[in-house]
Amino acid sequence: MDETTDNADAVSIQPHTHAAAVAPTDVDLVARVRANDESAFEELFNRHRRRVALIAGRFFRQREQIEEIVQETFTKAYFALPDFSNTQEASFAAWLARISFNSCYDELRRMKRRPESLAEGISEEEAAWLKGRLRADGAGDDIEAAIVSRDLAGKLLARLSPEDRTMLVMMDVEGMSVNEIAEMKDWSASKVKVRAHRARASLRRALGKFL
Amino acid sequence: MIGKKNERSLNERLDRIGRAFVRASGLNDEEAESAASSPFLYARLRSRIAAERARREAGESWFALVGVAWRTIPAMALTTVLAVTLLWLTSTGAGSSTVFGDESLLGASDNGIEQVVFADGRVLSSDDVLATIMNDDGREASR
Repeated sequence: MDETTDNADAVSIQPHTHAAAVAPTDVDLVARVRANDESAFEELFNRHRRRVALIAGRFFRQREQIEEIVQETFTKAYFALPDFSNTQEASFAAWLARISFNSCYDELRRMKRRPESLAEGISEEEAAWLKGRLRADGAGDDIEAAIVSRDLAGKLLARLSPEDRTMLVMMDVEGMSVNEIAEMKDWSASKVKVRAHRARASLRRALGKFL
Repeated sequence: MIGKKNERSLNERLDRIGRAFVRASGLNDEEAESAASSPFLYARLRSRIAAERARREAGESWFALVGVAWRTIPAMALTTVLAVTLLWLTSTGAGSSTVFGDESLLGASDNGIEQVVFADGRVLSSDDVLATIMNDDGREASR
């Protein structure tokens, strides 16, 4: 009799401990945040802040700017959580990435409106170095490793429009496909292709000035 | 033909270099991790959310006030229009009754004038009436 009771207890306890060991999914945490559980939002923040900072780091290099984007993204996400309706597991990360990209895009636009916040022009030394790299055969293969300072890249990309820059980061850094970009931006695939073509041409023009 | 080929080759090279620049412009994983693990970042986020919530609530109360005004102003305007219409109808109605009504012919509708007339005229008292009757009776008796 005692043995039976022990077994029954073991059976009843085992699933509970197993469930406790499994970390809640993002969707579970979202549901808890909706029920005013602030600790669940902190858990979401801790899970995804690195990814958001990484996206912000594609556009900005100042630590303050990245922290600003992280805060902006999570603030927007917090107030938009009631609108989040996807139930797929990966969707929260994708949804948050979309908010991050939009926050970066907004910040780029703000910077464009404030000329004093734009990076200063490319110096003569940098221009000469860039010209040499562009004219050299096989340039580009090792350029990433050869760039002594990333300032030059930042200054060059600051000349592009926020739309073009966002598009290039999505394609070349994040490695997103046309369909993924279309889904993220709520655009048609053909519109993404047109924008991508335009962004590439814009970057080519910016580089071509140094030839 | 050669020119086109050269142009395409140049474009490809520029695209390749441009791609490298775009990749090089961002932070690497370690730097991003460092920026994301800044101390008090979550505390600052919480205070920002609180500030945003307060701002939205203030905006909502202001919006509610605008909403009340949005409903009140047309209602007040409608009431004013109705009042003015009623006043106008009343005044024009009084004018027409002055022309066609019995009361207007008798001058009974204008209480103000009536009171002035009565105030200005000699008021006949009961004694006057009685004296008039008695005089009439005395005159007939003497006949």
